[in-house]
Amino acid sequence: MHVDYDGGNILHETVRWSRFLSIVGIIGLAICLLLLALAATALVGLFSSVLPGIEGLDGALLFAAILAILAIFGFVVFMLYRFSTLTRRAIDQQDQALFSEGMKCLKLYFIVSGILAIVGLLGNLYSLTKLFNS
Amino acid sequence: MENEQIPQPPNQLDNFFNITFDTVTRDQIRQAAVWAKVCALCAFVGYGITLVLAFFQRLPTMAGAEGVDFSSFRTRIVLVALLTVIVGGLINYSLYRFATSTIKGMDALDNVNTNEGFNNLRRYFKIYGILLIIVLSFSVLAFLAALLGMGLGQ
Repeated sequence: MHVDYDGGNILHETVRWSRFLSIVGIIGLAICLLLLALAATALVGLFSSVLPGIEGLDGALLFAAILAILAIFGFVVFMLYRFSTLTRRAIDQQDQALFSEGMKCLKLYFIVSGILAIVGLLGNLYSLTKLFNS
Repeated sequence: MENEQIPQPPNQLDNFFNITFDTVTRDQIRQAAVWAKVCALCAFVGYGITLVLAFFQRLPTMAGAEGVDFSSFRTRIVLVALLTVIVGGLINYSLYRFATSTIKGMDALDNVNTNEGFNNLRRYFKIYGILLIIVLSFSVLAFLAALLGMGLGQ
């Protein structure tokens, strides 16, 4: 089964939009990292005022948790970027290995997104149980 | 008659790239589609929960807010939730269609279904991109307005 010209054109446009999204995501994450580096102490203070249970938590631990979350999102946008660049190059150069690598990145992107979606859904279900218990 | 040119049959591979959906690639795409389906289904359930919460969640009571009209506050929450569900539902429907068509295409080695699946993925990324452009434009406008307000204030 070959990629036909319709499929190639569709993939070409798909990677154009996904590249735009990934670049905006990378810029957004870079801004978050910059804010974290510049205002770490102020952010810890803000978090402890919003979430009262967090006061006892070590600032370094909170910093590490935020960094871990940023790293997960960084991995997601990096995979999207790799999918875009590799698939585009694969179509332009008609390279099977690059195409396979690009699809692997798309798979990793959706696996991590799926796990994040399941975690988000569990959070939503928790809110729902709180509604029925109140 | 002997010099007559015999028309050559069109090369069927002329319409194709030199890239195949081999076993490894098909497996990668299939797994991507399965996880995309998980994302879309989680989103649909999440939107249902959002609507339930918007309609039935108890609003926080504030001391000294006796004159505040909480029914309009509830209406606003419900409207925002409905907008989120409609836009999010549209986006995730494209993702769901990508998943189902691509899985069908990969299983049946069918170009039509595979192309339809990737077309839905294109639509998914495109809607996300357009929404992002709108949000970024509003953010820049708000930032400029705030700067202007600060400048006028001084």
